[in-house]
Amino acid sequence: MADLLGVWVTVFFTLAIYTFLYKENPWFRIAESVYLGIATGYIITVDLKYLRDQWTGVWSSTGFMMTAFAFAILIGLLWYFRFSRKYFYLYRWPLAIIVGTGIGQAMQTIIFAQFLSQIGGQISLPLFVAGDPLTSFNNILIAIMVPCVLLYFWFTGGTHEFGAMKVIDKIARYTMMAGFGSAFGYTVLTRYALFIGRAQYLLGIPPNPPEAKMAFITIAIAFLATLIGYDVVKKQT
Amino acid sequence: MSLLEKLHSIDRRWIYLLAWIAVLVPLANPLGLPVSIGRDSTSYYNYIEGIPDGSVIMVTFDYGISAMPELYPLTVATFHHLWSHNFKVIVVASWREGPMVMDIVLKEMKPAETYGKVYGEDWIELGWFAQQEVGMAALGKDISGTLPVDYIEKKPTTGFPIMQDVKTAEDIDLLVSFETGTPGLPEWVRQWGTPYGTPMIMGCIGVMVPEVAPYLQTGQLGALIPGLTASAEYEQILKHPGLATAGVDAISMSHLLVIVLVIIGNAAYFMSKSGGSS
Repeated sequence: MADLLGVWVTVFFTLAIYTFLYKENPWFRIAESVYLGIATGYIITVDLKYLRDQWTGVWSSTGFMMTAFAFAILIGLLWYFRFSRKYFYLYRWPLAIIVGTGIGQAMQTIIFAQFLSQIGGQISLPLFVAGDPLTSFNNILIAIMVPCVLLYFWFTGGTHEFGAMKVIDKIARYTMMAGFGSAFGYTVLTRYALFIGRAQYLLGIPPNPPEAKMAFITIAIAFLATLIGYDVVKKQT
Repeated sequence: MSLLEKLHSIDRRWIYLLAWIAVLVPLANPLGLPVSIGRDSTSYYNYIEGIPDGSVIMVTFDYGISAMPELYPLTVATFHHLWSHNFKVIVVASWREGPMVMDIVLKEMKPAETYGKVYGEDWIELGWFAQQEVGMAALGKDISGTLPVDYIEKKPTTGFPIMQDVKTAEDIDLLVSFETGTPGLPEWVRQWGTPYGTPMIMGCIGVMVPEVAPYLQTGQLGALIPGLTASAEYEQILKHPGLATAGVDAISMSHLLVIVLVIIGNAAYFMSKSGGSS
């Protein structure tokens, strides 16, 4: 019974979110608010569980560790001064620690992981791969396009007015347009994939519960009747 | 009103209706369109096949419930692949909802009954770690110290047999990441790939592909499954059809619809442009 109720609730909220495609309406507002409430509650629960595990597993072992843990909790509580006008500045301390540690940690390896490695990868590309003309063509394109795009963003000394640079700029623009087109295509792929996943649930395609199909038909009719019915009545009055 | 004017003033909700039809009809009545196996899925499959038995593989959930429609089929297929071998599998999550997705995976796959895998010996779930990239760095230095209690039995991580020889990132033979954004591959490469040389493969949502593809070229990423279509191919290679295979017809039809709409939109644009100039 609980599983069946869960299926109907899932279908209800899925369709309630999709009613936004028709127009802004109370069904969507309900689903949106419930989703935000549940997501926030879940985040708080997971965070508290993490703190509990850290305490029992690591930080409760010695007096020094306990003091350090209590100090970290106190620093964490300073986040809530975000809501105080008078003591707002205290909120910046935990923020500074979070941002500082994050940037510091990333900076340790970013030059090697994302700068030198990419340059190395670019240089080491073989322009001609025996027996694989498509890869050769691809590598030649990369060897031309990447430097052109880099030069496109070189703004020193008005060099873009020279003849050769005009050609480079043109290649760079086409390269970037191809890149944006690829990103757009993959975005469409993802959006449809997300929709297909929900549609599979609504139709009860295994391993999704088959009861979802009946719930889908019933709730979809109810939503359409209320939304279109409301518009028709509003038009007549 | 001319056809061109009608196209310009069409209510966007008709497009949504067409999108629903393009997805629901092939899902309800499968067309059986063939799935051609591509290079990405083959490479991903071969990479896992090339890992020796007994290797320690860390699977990380870098996605939440919202990306499940695209990444869940790949997640199930990958676990089927991993649990069909004698690997030691450690599951973690850099996204808070990761363990929730893993709960659904376990409910469907039942590793003990289906694959004979013993929890704590053959695989373990350590749950979510906080602080994104900083958490990844801490996990690399001390796995049990960063996640001291396991997610399922809520016992000390160090007490499980699988964790006896696994202390740091150096003890991990392969990292498998399922990703939908930040934190994800760039952070893993910075905190695990570069300092420890940990080999990595991943599956990601389509939107992420242009961002992560350059890591393939440099060898920092061993293999990449980009989106639902490649997941369907991977299911076909494994002979383990799942939700991705079931959705192939809908993917094809929906993409066909988008292509037709792009052509119509461009044709209308150029027709109105030429009409305006004459």
